Amino acid sequence: MAVTGRLGLLAALGAVAPLVWPSWWTLGALWGLLALGVLADLALAGSVRDLVLHRSGDASVRLGETATVSLVVENAGRRRVRARLRDVWPPSAASSPRVTEIDVPPGERRRVETRLTPTRRGDRAAVTVTIRSRGPLGLAARQLNRPAPWTVRVLPSFPSRRHLPGKLAKLRTLTGQHVALIRGQGTEFDSLREYVDGDDVRSIDWRASARRSDVVVRTWRPERDRRIYLVLDTGRTSAGRVGDIPRLDCSMDAALLLGALASRAGDRVDLLAYDRRVRARVEGASRSDLLPAMVQAMAPLEPELIESDAAGMVSTIMSRVRQRCLVVLLTELNPAAMEEGLLPLLPQLTARHLVMVAAVADPRVGEMARARGDLAAVYDAAAAERARADRRRLTAELRRHGVEVVDAPPEELAPALADAYLALKAAGRL
Amino acid sequence: MTAALSGAAPAVPGPRQTAARRWRSARGVVVVLLALVALAVAIALLESAPEPQYLDPESPSRGGTRALAQILARRGVPVRTVRDAEDAAKAARRPGAVLVIVRSERLTPEELRLLADTPGDVLLVEPTRPALQALAPGVHRATTDFEDVAEPGCGLDAAVRAGRVHFGTSEVYQSPPDGIGCYVSGELPRLVRVRVGGRTVTVLGSGAPLTNGLLDQEGNAALAMNLAGAGDSVVWLIPDLPEPGGGSGARSWQDLVPHGVRLFLVELGAALLLAALWRMRRMGPVVAEPLPVVVRSAETVEGRSRLYRAHRARDRAADALRSGARERLVPLLGLPRGAAQDPAMAQEIVSAVARRTGWDEQAVGSALYGPPPADDAGLVALTDVLDDLERQVRRP
Repeated sequence: MAVTGRLGLLAALGAVAPLVWPSWWTLGALWGLLALGVLADLALAGSVRDLVLHRSGDASVRLGETATVSLVVENAGRRRVRARLRDVWPPSAASSPRVTEIDVPPGERRRVETRLTPTRRGDRAAVTVTIRSRGPLGLAARQLNRPAPWTVRVLPSFPSRRHLPGKLAKLRTLTGQHVALIRGQGTEFDSLREYVDGDDVRSIDWRASARRSDVVVRTWRPERDRRIYLVLDTGRTSAGRVGDIPRLDCSMDAALLLGALASRAGDRVDLLAYDRRVRARVEGASRSDLLPAMVQAMAPLEPELIESDAAGMVSTIMSRVRQRCLVVLLTELNPAAMEEGLLPLLPQLTARHLVMVAAVADPRVGEMARARGDLAAVYDAAAAERARADRRRLTAELRRHGVEVVDAPPEELAPALADAYLALKAAGRL
Repeated sequence: MTAALSGAAPAVPGPRQTAARRWRSARGVVVVLLALVALAVAIALLESAPEPQYLDPESPSRGGTRALAQILARRGVPVRTVRDAEDAAKAARRPGAVLVIVRSERLTPEELRLLADTPGDVLLVEPTRPALQALAPGVHRATTDFEDVAEPGCGLDAAVRAGRVHFGTSEVYQSPPDGIGCYVSGELPRLVRVRVGGRTVTVLGSGAPLTNGLLDQEGNAALAMNLAGAGDSVVWLIPDLPEPGGGSGARSWQDLVPHGVRLFLVELGAALLLAALWRMRRMGPVVAEPLPVVVRSAETVEGRSRLYRAHRARDRAADALRSGARERLVPLLGLPRGAAQDPAMAQEIVSAVARRTGWDEQAVGSALYGPPPADDAGLVALTDVLDDLERQVRRP
C-alpha cells in the first residue's frame, strides 16, 4: 500500500481543529476519520492483481537511436483502475516518461508507450512494471510490481556506414562495372565478348578472334569467394577508452564496414570475438544476412578485464578455417601483450593465412607528443614519444612477419581498414 | 576577444552573475529579516527596562528612593530594606508595619502567595498582573496614561493632603466598587485603595513620585510620606532577581503553551509523518546495473610521464625526444627508414641535417645525439632546439 500527499495535506489542514476544540478527543476523531478514509480507499481501489499486461514494440535499436516499447494494460477485474504506472528499465536504457497516469475501466485496455534511448550497447531487459492504484478518495493506494518481460537489444551504432558508398564505388572500379577493364594482377578470366570501341587492344584474344572471324576480347574480373576472418579481441586492451569510446566499439565499427564491403565484393566473411574463450561467432552467414548477424552478435559484447589468450585465439582460428583466408585481427598494438602473446605464434598463422592487424591509435598520445612549454608538458611529450617509438617498433616487427598493419585514430580506422582490404584485393593477394 | 567572452557568457555564468542571481532570489528574505530586527529594536527601545536601582531605598541615583527612606527615618518611621520575600513576610508580621512592594515582576507565584498571607497594610508600586491578582483582587490594570500631573479628585485623606502630584507615565486601573480611586484620568484612577481581608492595600500606578529625582515635584513627597509612612515602620521589599532556573515555582515554557496549541503541534507532527510516508514509498524498485569500466587509453602514457617527472629522468626523456625527432627527420632527408635508431648512421644524419639547415654540425650533433641535459631548463631548451631543427628541415 501507499499513502498519497492528499492524506498528509488533510492531516495538516485538520491541525486547525484542536485550536478550536482543544481536546485529545478532537485529534482522536480526526485520526479515526482519516483512518476510515484510508481503509475505504484500500478496499475500493481497483485491483492491480487483476491487470493483465501485454508487451509489444521494438526488440532492437541502434545505439543513439530511440526505440518504442508499448505496454497494453488490460483490466480483467470488476473495478475501474485509476493508477500511476512506472515501466521500470535499467538506468542506461534511459526510458521516458518515468511515470504515466492510466485510467482503465473494467474489461477495457489502455496502451502505455515507453521510449528508450539507450546510452550503451548490449541487452536491456525491462525490470518490472510498478502500478499504484488509487482509491476513489485519493487518500491511499495499492501498489504492486507486476512482471512484464521484454528485452531490447542495443546494437552497435555503425557510424562509419557513411563511408560504405564511397568504398563500394572504389570496389566497382576494381570489378570493372564502370570502367573498361584492364587486365591486371588479382584478376581471373571471366568471359569472352566482342570487341567494342575503347577496349584495350592488349586484351584481344587473338586465338578466339581467329576462330570467330571477329575481334574478341577477354574480360577479367577480380577474384571472388575469398574468405575473410574477422577477429575481435575483447580482452583488457579493448576496454581502454579513446576519447569517450571504448576501443572495442571502434573495432566493431571497422569490422562492420569491412564486413559490409567484403560481402558486397563477393567474399565470405566470418566473425569471431575472443579473449580467453569464444565470446561471439558468426560463420557461414549468407551475403544478405551477414550484417544483421554480425550486429546481433556484437551487441552484447563487453570488454573483459582479462589478458587475452593469444594461443587459444590462434588455435581456434586454425581449427575453424582450413583454406587460406585473410585474418583481420582487431586488437591493440600493446607491446607487452603482443610480444608475449601473439608475436611468437604469428609464424603459425602467417604460414597458412594472410594476417592483417588493425588497431586504434589514441589521438591523445599525439597531442601529448606535441605538448611544449613547461617541464610537465615536456615530460608528457617524452613519454608520448616513447610510446610511439614502441608502437613503431612493434609495427615494424609485425611487418617483418608479413603482417599488414593498419594503425589509425578512431574515426579513420574503419575507412583505413577498408582501403587496406581494397588494396589487397586489387593486388590479388587474397 | 571581447566578442568571444560575451558570446560565452550566457552559457557559463560568471561568479558575479551567480552572486547577483542569488541576491535577487534571497533579497525578499533578507528584507523581511532586517525589518523584523528593526521592529524588535524599536520595541526594545520603547519598552526600556528599568534601571537596576529603580525604587531602591539604598540608592542615591535619580531612580532610587533613598531620600524618601531618610525623610521617613527622620520622622521616626524606620525603613527596613528587604530583598527577599520570605524575610519581608516575616518582618511585616510586626503590627503597625507597612509593607511596600516594588519591582514585583521579580516575585514568583509562591512568593506572592506568601506575601498575600501577611496581615499588615501593603503599598503596591507598579505591580504586575500576577501581583495585583494575588494582593489586590478586584483591581485590574487598564492601560497606560502619559499625562504628567494629576489632581487627587477623591476623598482619600493621604491624597487630598498631598494635592497635585507629578506622576510621569503611569498605569491606570479599574477599581472595584468598594475601592477608592484617586488621580483619575478619564474614569480610571492612578491610585487605588481597597480593603482585602482586614487590611488596606494601596496600589500606586507609578513609582515616579517616590524617586529621588521627582520627590520635590508638586506634592510628591507628601503623597509618598502619607502612603509609606502611615504606620510606625516600613518594610520595603525590593526583591532580588530570582536565580535562573531555580525555584520550584518556575514554570517551563511548555506549561505556558495552551493545550490547543500543543495538540495543533502534535497534529502537525502527524501530518509531517504522513507526508514522509507518502514520499518514502518508491514507485518501483531501485535498479542496479553493472557499469562498464572506464579506463582511458592514454593512461599508461600519462603515468609514464609522471614517473619520468617524479624521478627527474632527464636522460630517458631526452633520449625519447631525440629519437622521436630523428624518426621524423630521417624520411625528410631521404635516408633509409631504419637509420634513425642506427648508431652507425649518426654521422650521416648529422651532416645531412647540417647541410639542409645551414647549422653548425656540432650544434646539430649535440641536439640529436648530445649528452642528457644537466637540469630541467636544459630539457625544456632541448625540445625547443629539436622543434627548431625540424621546422628548418621541413622548410629550408
